[in-house]
Amino acid sequence: MKQILEQIPHRFPFLLVDRILERQVGVRVRAEKLITMGDPFLQGHFPGMPILPGVLMLEMLAQAAAFLEAEPLADRPVFLAQVADARFKASAVPGDRLELEVLPDASFGALQRVRGTIRCEGRVLCTARLVLAKGPAPEALP
Amino acid sequence: MSDLKQQVKEMIIQRLKLEDMTPDQIDDEAPLFGEGLGLDSIDALELALGVEQVYGVKIDNEGSGMKAFKNVSSLAAFIAENQAAS
Repeated sequence: MKQILEQIPHRFPFLLVDRILERQVGVRVRAEKLITMGDPFLQGHFPGMPILPGVLMLEMLAQAAAFLEAEPLADRPVFLAQVADARFKASAVPGDRLELEVLPDASFGALQRVRGTIRCEGRVLCTARLVLAKGPAPEALP
Repeated sequence: MSDLKQQVKEMIIQRLKLEDMTPDQIDDEAPLFGEGLGLDSIDALELALGVEQVYGVKIDNEGSGMKAFKNVSSLAAFIAENQAAS
């Protein structure tokens, strides 16, 4: 958990990675997120029918992708620059243990393109390609 | 060289899905980014990949990449030069 907080700046209620299962910098990251009734976004999405919003699946993949980088990004934001070919094949509900997998695909300058997949008990829930833009280093900020 | 420029224009249209454009509408010397064709940095990533896959020329340094990406002429020259070198 400490490793997660040191790597990315996200915090409650928007920290969407619980555990890193595998981290090979620049090669592959596998992480986990457990969905529970306590998750604040499930209160309104939807009352009486809690379903993880699809956009948050994309956000989970984006957060997991930050662990492909060797350098800690806790004080250096990473922005989503593009989402392509996003597919939501099944929904996630409380009790689901989601496995996030992110593989780098291409990079140019400050941009990194990754392919992400979310699975639950072997079923694929979501696949997408994301382009992430690393923000300026903290010393470069005014 | 003019064949290569034509190919480069076709690749730009195809890879960046500029479906309402034809190669004739892209000027050899017009800036690709900002004014001119109006491409952005995400297009640059896609274009760098395209150049690598089609011509086997890797553009990994952003500095030299952006110089090559100035316009169609400079990109064709960069491809010709680096293909000859390999």
